[in-house]
Amino acid sequence: MNQPVSEAIAKQLEAFIIQEAKLADEGQYEAWEGLWADDAVYWVPLKEGDDPTQQVSHLYDNRTRIATRIRQLMTGYRYSQLPISGMRRLISNYEFFAEDDKRYRVEANFFLPEYSIQSIHDFRIWSGRYVYTLSAKDDGFQIHTKKVLLVNGTEPVPTMAFLI
Amino acid sequence: MSTIDYEHLIQEDKVHGSLYTDEAIYEDEIEKIFYSSWVFIGHESEIKKRGDYVTRDIGRSSVIMVRGKDEDIQVIVNRCQHRGNLLCNESQGNKRNFTCPYHGWVFGLNGDLLDVSYPGGFDRPLEELNLEVLVTDSYRGFVFASFKEPTISFDDYLGNGKKLIDRSCNMAPNGKIDLKGGWIRQHFDANWKMLPENDTDGYHVNYVHQSFVRAIDSQYGDFVGAEDSIKGVIKNWGNGHTEIDFAPGYTKTLDWLGSTPEKAKSYVDSMREAYGQEKADQMLYDGPAHACIFPNLFLAEMNIVIFQPTGAHSAVQWSTPMFLEGAPELDFKLLRQSEGALGPASFLLADDASIAERAQKALGAGTPWCDLSRGLNRETEDTDGVKTSHMTDETSNRGFWHHYRDVMMGELS
Repeated sequence: MNQPVSEAIAKQLEAFIIQEAKLADEGQYEAWEGLWADDAVYWVPLKEGDDPTQQVSHLYDNRTRIATRIRQLMTGYRYSQLPISGMRRLISNYEFFAEDDKRYRVEANFFLPEYSIQSIHDFRIWSGRYVYTLSAKDDGFQIHTKKVLLVNGTEPVPTMAFLI
Repeated sequence: MSTIDYEHLIQEDKVHGSLYTDEAIYEDEIEKIFYSSWVFIGHESEIKKRGDYVTRDIGRSSVIMVRGKDEDIQVIVNRCQHRGNLLCNESQGNKRNFTCPYHGWVFGLNGDLLDVSYPGGFDRPLEELNLEVLVTDSYRGFVFASFKEPTISFDDYLGNGKKLIDRSCNMAPNGKIDLKGGWIRQHFDANWKMLPENDTDGYHVNYVHQSFVRAIDSQYGDFVGAEDSIKGVIKNWGNGHTEIDFAPGYTKTLDWLGSTPEKAKSYVDSMREAYGQEKADQMLYDGPAHACIFPNLFLAEMNIVIFQPTGAHSAVQWSTPMFLEGAPELDFKLLRQSEGALGPASFLLADDASIAERAQKALGAGTPWCDLSRGLNRETEDTDGVKTSHMTDETSNRGFWHHYRDVMMGELS
């Protein structure tokens, strides 16, 4: 495990993650949901090292709850994302690893400016580390896990109803 | 001496918008509510062993809730008596004593000054500079404290609130809850009073949470139909303690848990063993309390919530799942339900925050009054003075505001 990947694969993985970020930024909800595998875990813990079976997280979605989250966003009444926040995230400092059972792990830092326009019109900065587990599917990849480690997850944080 | 005319600002059927936006009122609240009488600090299960502590923010102060050497629990101001430094920067941990990082003064777990470094230049008796200790009391593990000697006894302050705490704790087979799941803290750009108001407002569910109701099949679907079909009730228990009682509107046992007696067999069995079948079955039907204890505790069904004012225009809501001793098999479900309901990414509170923030923005302008009359035409009062009405009525918010008015006018504390 933790083998390096070829430059060609790394490029493909990076392109996939850039695409996922774009769908999240633009609120292309159905397309974003389509990237997830059946065993999906979309997870924002309070901090590194937390055990999701013992400690509360900001969110810990399995595939069913990801579908629920998207369904709620698409009702047209999700006030905390009505209208959708202005977002353009930057992802950098990538590290790519090949794991067992044909999965890839990608870690990267993210910097996400959010213009929150649902209530007080506040410009917010979100930052942290993404840890993805991906596997090949069709011509691209699918997401098994996306763990989002906020730099300030244990502090008071404002509404985070968008896809982070 | 206060010159704010609370009697004018808070009337029987309306409250003034400045109560949410005026900086002078906010400062007055910090003094009269948070520095003068009982406030909720935390739960004993958060500090199980000697030396365990958590820090909390009350008023403008950081305080430490700590289990001391005789297993007793104290609430101590987190401020060195020498030069005022913060003693403890961590939100939780375990210590043998508190050592100030500035000049190395050492305080015991009970706040006593034990030692000063380079004592040659210091000839005051150590006990003159012990840490400030709050008046502390607890009920079923819920620890409350007051900076000043309160003019109302702890029993009188809690009043009917004991029944609400009982209802929640009794959901555990041995009557003990365990807050070990960690706290999510959600920032609101809104006045803190909107949190207790909204949390026992049964009127907004079908509107603020329309996306939830449309996207998710849950027990809350029982509470959004036509007015006559909503069977839940709203209650003002006195002393500012308020409740939405969902029980009359539930349609089956364990509705509140989103489960069934078959799926939760081991929990149901242990409840029946502990309380007897008839009593246990009633409790399993009725579920835990959904109630606010004035000023800063919310028994949020299977969660515990704290309201923390941080300014006239901002607040923090803390939330943690309410685990039940003797039913660890529910923990995973309770964690996921807590995340679903409460916190910045949740299906419910994320929308409550946006709506509260819109209110904060609008309250400062135009007609200054907010109507509070809903249900005055139909609420009833029992012999204990508890007022009950239709779930969508403002009986709860009148209960909060009228108690608040009495506290702010110095008629109670």
